[in-house]
Amino acid sequence: MSKEFKLPELGENIESADVISVLVKAGDKIEKEQGVIEIETDKATVEVPSSVEGTIKEVLVKEGDKVKVGQVLIKVDENGKEEEVKEEEKTEEKKKGTAKDGEAEKKEEEKIRHRRTEEKPKPNGEKNIVEMKLPELGENIESADVIGVLVKEGDQIEKDQGVIEIETDKATVEVPSNVSGKVLEVLVKEGTKAKVGDILIKVETSEETGEVPEIKQEEPAKKEVSDEKKKEEEKRVSKEEIETIQPFEKDEQPPITKGAAPAAPSVRRLARELGVNINDIPGTGPAGRISLDDVKAFVKKLNESAGGLIGKGIKKEELPDFSKFGKIERRQMTSIRQKTAQHLSYAWMTIPHVTQFDKADITELEKVRKEMNQKAKDDKDKLTMTAFLAKVSASALKVFPQFNSSVDMERNEIIYKKYFHIGIAVDTEHGLIVPVIRNADLKNMTELARDINNLAEKARSRKTSLDDLQGACFTITNLGGIGGTAFSPIVNSPEVAILGVSRGSYEPVYNGEEFEPRLMLPLSLSYDHRVIDGADAARFLRWVCKAIENPMKLLVEG
Amino acid sequence: MSKQVTVIGAGPGGYAAAFLAADLGMNVTLIDKEKNPGGVCLYRGCIPSKALLHVAKLITEADEAKDWGVEFPKPKINLDRLREWKNEVVAKQTGGLGQLLKAKKINYIQGIAAFLNSSTLKIETTSGKTEEQKFENAIIATGSTIATISSLDIKSKRLLNSTSALDLPEIPKRLLVIGGGYIGLELGSVYSALGTKVSVVEMLSGLLPGADRDLVSHLAKRIEKSYEKVMLDSKVTEMDEVKNGIEVKIQDKEGKTTSDTYDYVLMSIGRKPRTEGLDLENTKVKVDERGWIKVNKQMQTDDPNIFAIGDIVGEPMLAHKASHEGRTAVEVINGEKVSFEPMAIPAVVFTDPEIAWAGLTETQAKEKNIKYETAKFPWAASGRATTLGRSDGVTKLIVDPDTERLLGIGICGPGAGELIAEGVLALEMGANLTDLKLTIHPHPTLSETIMEAAEVFFGQSSHLHRPKRK
Repeated sequence: MSKEFKLPELGENIESADVISVLVKAGDKIEKEQGVIEIETDKATVEVPSSVEGTIKEVLVKEGDKVKVGQVLIKVDENGKEEEVKEEEKTEEKKKGTAKDGEAEKKEEEKIRHRRTEEKPKPNGEKNIVEMKLPELGENIESADVIGVLVKEGDQIEKDQGVIEIETDKATVEVPSNVSGKVLEVLVKEGTKAKVGDILIKVETSEETGEVPEIKQEEPAKKEVSDEKKKEEEKRVSKEEIETIQPFEKDEQPPITKGAAPAAPSVRRLARELGVNINDIPGTGPAGRISLDDVKAFVKKLNESAGGLIGKGIKKEELPDFSKFGKIERRQMTSIRQKTAQHLSYAWMTIPHVTQFDKADITELEKVRKEMNQKAKDDKDKLTMTAFLAKVSASALKVFPQFNSSVDMERNEIIYKKYFHIGIAVDTEHGLIVPVIRNADLKNMTELARDINNLAEKARSRKTSLDDLQGACFTITNLGGIGGTAFSPIVNSPEVAILGVSRGSYEPVYNGEEFEPRLMLPLSLSYDHRVIDGADAARFLRWVCKAIENPMKLLVEG
Repeated sequence: MSKQVTVIGAGPGGYAAAFLAADLGMNVTLIDKEKNPGGVCLYRGCIPSKALLHVAKLITEADEAKDWGVEFPKPKINLDRLREWKNEVVAKQTGGLGQLLKAKKINYIQGIAAFLNSSTLKIETTSGKTEEQKFENAIIATGSTIATISSLDIKSKRLLNSTSALDLPEIPKRLLVIGGGYIGLELGSVYSALGTKVSVVEMLSGLLPGADRDLVSHLAKRIEKSYEKVMLDSKVTEMDEVKNGIEVKIQDKEGKTTSDTYDYVLMSIGRKPRTEGLDLENTKVKVDERGWIKVNKQMQTDDPNIFAIGDIVGEPMLAHKASHEGRTAVEVINGEKVSFEPMAIPAVVFTDPEIAWAGLTETQAKEKNIKYETAKFPWAASGRATTLGRSDGVTKLIVDPDTERLLGIGICGPGAGELIAEGVLALEMGANLTDLKLTIHPHPTLSETIMEAAEVFFGQSSHLHRPKRK
């Protein structure tokens, strides 16, 4: 019996990966769990183990290929029927898993269908006259300047078609219609102010009134334009009534290298007209080619999730021509570097960061640690400060549950986690990697030390699996081995806090009678001020310090 | 109320802008010192040189035909008639544009313009009148002019530039071309075909700096045969007019100077921006240190209602780039959200063989450390090339190995300038090599070499056995 082995699911949001080497060839005997190919995703280099065994008939991928999840990698002649059955069981299981997702999707679809049926025209074709009012524009916005009226009496309009264009302090926005039908009357004029609730147009429709329309959020570029327009207008007082054309340099289609979006000129132009950056649009065509439909779908999605854009008002600054100043060299970023840059920019822009500093007295702890390590048989079992901090952090997360959370701003919810996985930042020659220790709260210190050692080693030899990198609740980054007195780490979004560790040093500490030399460990806690307040952060870090100084605390409270 | 735009300079960028503006219903003024639109391209560049190159090709092919059993006597060249014919071509084209001006109701002023401020021009008409004109929007399209080396700029009728060389003063016995760029090589080819012994001197180590070497090599071989001498890594240090010629001192890489006398010398070392006389200092328009006007992607200068397009905003100085920029500027003035953002601007050298490229070159890919693969189809394997007796060509694709997307294309061979257009379309559409491979190309044509090069990439070319390396 011949079987196909397909590229399994790699993790959330990962649809494809680059094949960096193929580990088997046709004719090979392959066992289960034996590596078939080595792939590189944005996140890591991973060996893909086989779920089948037998003799390989055909290898369908080669080095340098991009493979998609579900793509057939190898074909295998299976030798035992038993195995096949098991295999099928597995796929059955998998199917069940996906069936669940499918159900959720179905529900979602049903919801949509429901909504549609609600909007269906009345069967008897009865006509309604509907007044369309200026909807809520956002917090603290009560009125707006009408800068354009996009419909006129007698027009046939569709639902979601723009009715007027308004300008608020914050943005230029098109107000879409909530009904479709014939415009009977237009009650606003260009250049006037409209208040929330004002009637804009009267529409004759055969539909029931829809909900209040969502306001399209304009893209940042246009906002800049309008901002600049204001400035320019001020300047123009003395100038004659010549309309000044505003530049709207926003993005640039990079020159044709790997960075340029694969899209036809007509598609690129549409993206510009709709005010989206072509480079942000995911293409559904072969090799990611972007179609007209992709652009429309992307814009629709943006409009649906208002506030889906970040970094508003940030204008791109051009790089100078460095070669004017001396010799330079340009190099492509590695995929880990790209991902790190993107991820940390995102974290930095979305999370309001504050960093709390404190010091823990580790004089006693170090004594104990050294004693115990002398007894340790294996180097890997040696207790490390990081292992100890992982244990303490897991306990601290139990005591302060808001530190074990994530923020969902779209739904205004905080997600609390009931598991305690700790990420450990590892510096490798390929870049920064953060493997995750699962259930740090359930492991003893020796187990933690061994786990951390193993993960760090895997990271350095590029053997980290995607599982190893996902699911952290809280991250520890220890630069103490290198030195330094303090630093402010960036929270590893969507986590809400990160513990930075610097190098411990002896300091004179007053014990009530005299100064005593104590070994003090500087700690920095960066946190997301959206969910954590300063006092909580101070308490959390104090708790951590106390637990380090008096590990009994872990037994009593942790 | 319709918008108003004044375009200064009626070259291929300026007139394309003016025509589109008129088509969009704007009130258009176009200013140029010639009688009709056309600019350097039509009067003193692309068009007349191509007319002469066509003649050159005819002469060369007639000569080569003796290998195929057809022998012509040595051609008799009536230089006056040839010059006249070239002028007729120019007149026909520029005259046609003049008619279009009328049809599109464009206000054409023959004269030169200078800025008085950010909204006023002073225009001196050819008929001697001076007038001031307000504008809402202006597009500067005054292009570029021939650059010279002042120390070598001796006042001699025997020192030609690209303009005077097109006037064919005579067919010199020996001609030295200073500069191995495309203008020098194209004009050199014309004179060579007419019977002149042509030599070329180039400062850099190869002809056509910037083009990929494997494309240039076929041309270099042919030139070495047909020209008298090709001097690379060399420069002219001195020129003096002597009786019946110009004595030229040339220094080679080792610093050795030799002296030779040529009937004529053609200096073609590049072009410089034509900003003189525009009085840009009366506006907020900024120029860079080399004199090119600074613009953004909307072709807008630092003075928001003044745009600049074409050669005057810098390289590449090509007519088709200028006209695309011109149209972009007009669309921006018209309130459209557009940007000058081509994936590729094709470059063509109309020598024999022609060389054309677009998108990423291999040279750039190496410089910028971009991961790429090439797929080459030599024309020796093309049936059509063989029937033309021209196997000295190659079609090369530069490919992103991860996505198999076409990043660049380079072609050398007769007709490369026509063939490149398909490559440019493929680049603009984001085509991958499977697209090129699966597009049926007519047989027997040179265009098949593009499809076959794509097949080479997959190790599946019908006419070239090159299995995919592993």
